[in-house]
Amino acid sequence: MSLITVLSPMTSHFQARSFGSMLVALGYIYPLQDHKRLVIKPDASLYRFQTPYFWPTQQWPVEDTDYAIYLAKRNIRKKGILELHEQEHYNRLHKWMNHKWDFIVMQAKEQYRAAKERKKPDRVVFDCQERAYWVVHRPPPGTVSAMDYGLDRLIDPNADEVTGESLLVKYCATYNSHDPFLSKCLPSNPWLTDDVTYWTLNMPYVEMPTKMRVERWTFSFAELLSDPRGRNDFRLFLKKEFSGENLAFWESCEDLKWGEAATMSEKAEHIYKTFLARGAPRWINIDGKTMEITVKGLKHPHRYVLDAAQTHIYMLMKKDSYGRYQKSPVFKETVKKAICPEEHHFTDAQLEQNAKKRRPSLSPIILRQMEQEQRAKMAATVDITQLCRFTTPVPHLAVYSGITDFPSANASPSLPFLAHSPACPSPISVALDSTSASERRVEAGEGEGEGNPAAQAAAGGNVSKSRMALSLHRLLKRGCTPATMFASLSPKCHSAAGTSSRIQPISPDQPSQAPPRRIGNFFQIKVDIPPECRIYPIESEDEDEENRAASRGGVGAKEIICPWESLTPQNGTG
Amino acid sequence: MYTAGACNTKQIGPCCHIFELQEKCRFLLSKPVVACYRHLASYVGGCTDSLQLRDELRQTREKALTLAVSICNHLTSHLRNKSLPEGQRKEMELLWVAFSSSLELLHVDMCKVFNISDIFSLANTDALVQTGLQGGGSEVAARALSLPDLNLAPNPTLSAGLESQERSTMEQEISQMDHMIDDMEMKVNVMRWMVEPHGPQYAEVLSSSDSASLALLSVDEEQPGHQPPCQRSHIHVLLLLFAVVLVAATLSVCIIFFT
Repeated sequence: MSLITVLSPMTSHFQARSFGSMLVALGYIYPLQDHKRLVIKPDASLYRFQTPYFWPTQQWPVEDTDYAIYLAKRNIRKKGILELHEQEHYNRLHKWMNHKWDFIVMQAKEQYRAAKERKKPDRVVFDCQERAYWVVHRPPPGTVSAMDYGLDRLIDPNADEVTGESLLVKYCATYNSHDPFLSKCLPSNPWLTDDVTYWTLNMPYVEMPTKMRVERWTFSFAELLSDPRGRNDFRLFLKKEFSGENLAFWESCEDLKWGEAATMSEKAEHIYKTFLARGAPRWINIDGKTMEITVKGLKHPHRYVLDAAQTHIYMLMKKDSYGRYQKSPVFKETVKKAICPEEHHFTDAQLEQNAKKRRPSLSPIILRQMEQEQRAKMAATVDITQLCRFTTPVPHLAVYSGITDFPSANASPSLPFLAHSPACPSPISVALDSTSASERRVEAGEGEGEGNPAAQAAAGGNVSKSRMALSLHRLLKRGCTPATMFASLSPKCHSAAGTSSRIQPISPDQPSQAPPRRIGNFFQIKVDIPPECRIYPIESEDEDEENRAASRGGVGAKEIICPWESLTPQNGTG
Repeated sequence: MYTAGACNTKQIGPCCHIFELQEKCRFLLSKPVVACYRHLASYVGGCTDSLQLRDELRQTREKALTLAVSICNHLTSHLRNKSLPEGQRKEMELLWVAFSSSLELLHVDMCKVFNISDIFSLANTDALVQTGLQGGGSEVAARALSLPDLNLAPNPTLSAGLESQERSTMEQEISQMDHMIDDMEMKVNVMRWMVEPHGPQYAEVLSSSDSASLALLSVDEEQPGHQPPCQRSHIHVLLLLFAVVLVAATLSVCIIFFT
């Protein structure tokens, strides 16, 4: 028997211990007493060298046949009392190597009897050797090995300390308590205890997040945005502040960047129309230079065309909204409601129970469905007081509340949305009824030919889609008209829009009677529009509604022209 | 693996009944040569490694190879015989699987010994690993070769020539084994997954007779070991009883004396 001693050539006690731990973990030496814990203990416990036959140096494959023979031998020796994991392995091997089983049993008996020929101490030594070999190569559950994590884990003692890198140090200091390797994972690490509470508490869209998660949101803005629950919270806050379009724009840019190539240009166009164009319903505030770059890039849209604008908005949110968010009552309430789970203390018996109750987690298909339902729910409940009620926000919202599949999302989320907003259905349902009439009107109403091909082509392009989507889309184009007047960002106009949005039920026969030039009147409300709503003095600020309608009637359908569309008369993308 | 014993391949002529042949194969397969070789291999490189051990290994290896060759020929010829009835074919396939598995085990062990003896040359006995073993493998080798005792003449002193010669011999043997395994696979197509074993899932130790058949007896070899403790406890109880009786007798005698 040999005692392990500190290897004197090593430069430090710590190095010696590390090296020793590595030797034990790999199987060159094995402990005599606590044979399942493959660590070097600093006390006087005894270790022995493993015989070269069992060394891992040559990396001979560790055969299951050998393991089966070993287990059979052990079964003989222990008269049928094997440990639980050994029993399970044995049964499994019996199932998979059934054809060889006679051989294995026979061989086990022969080896057992051959061992009896040896002297007793040698027999014991050989048993220990074999057992140690199999602890290394088929570890029982809960084996502590020096190569694993933990305080004794192997780290290179020669690694240089990272000095002078204050950023890294700061990062480490911040995330130290959140790292499941470095600090305890509340309530318990599922990989260790087989208890999945940690995962269920930290699901992406959980109602009440954990304290640790909420704390992480305060570390940086990126953390907040990358956590779906955090993003929801932030969205809620922005909704209260009436600046939700920033986040919506950012999300839509992300969608563009990571989305499918087929729908890319359509998406880009929509984003432009919704957020960037002059008079867009959800106009975002970016500086002139960025806008210039973006518009120029949109002529040949690609995935990263909106990068500059997105970065601008991101920095805006980070510098401005993020700080206010952290002081807001929304956040404070979330922090108050956050749960801090108790740490689990499982006994060994309970651990085994947990191991038996292991079940596979939800299938990714179900998870994706849940996510889509979540997105639909969010799309349905987007606050429309920000927008003018006269816009048909539905198709936009479907996209910009995060639904990735662009065309198909048109129909389904719109319906629940429509159900929520009693005011809106009327124009839309009217539009549905009178699609043919509106079609005629659209075609007839294009006096100034510029926007004509665009609208027509766009309209034509929509034919392939569903009827409803078709009409909604056209409605959208028309809806852009009054949106320029009524879309508002400032709170002032909200109330105004609110009051003015008591849409009189427009009689169905009105559109058909209206002359082509009265397209704008389709959404005309018989209420005065307060002057402060006219934020976008793009059109001539005629007090005369007729004139306005007239001018808009001509320009109306092509109100929001994508600049690249004007260059290309043929616009295949709807 | 499985010793040849007294049986000689040349004695088995084509007139032997298939069944007897199977019994013979089974008998041969039940010999412990491979198991013993593994035990001996675990000594190599340790502090009890010696020329004697290497010699024992060599002898065991030779025995194993002769055995392997004979069984291989038997099994191959019979399995290639298309006119074999179904039941017997299944039996032969079972034996085939057992034989090929043991050949593979032996091959692996041989390669390991070859590698280790490369690293741990006997010329430098200080480099041998202190594994804590005391005895050598003589008894195991004796069992392998089915000899009651191994009386080996002490080997002449180790020389470089001896070691390299041994190495080359071993290389040849390993390649021979390789060829045999390949040959077997080529000549006979045994579908391993179709083979169904007879034996039980759990092995129980037989009594100490070597020539036991495959039928398992439930006599546990360890039980004789249990007898002494039981008997000892019985003896203790009896002694106690006896003492009590003695005390009672003396007391009664005393009473009679004093009354």
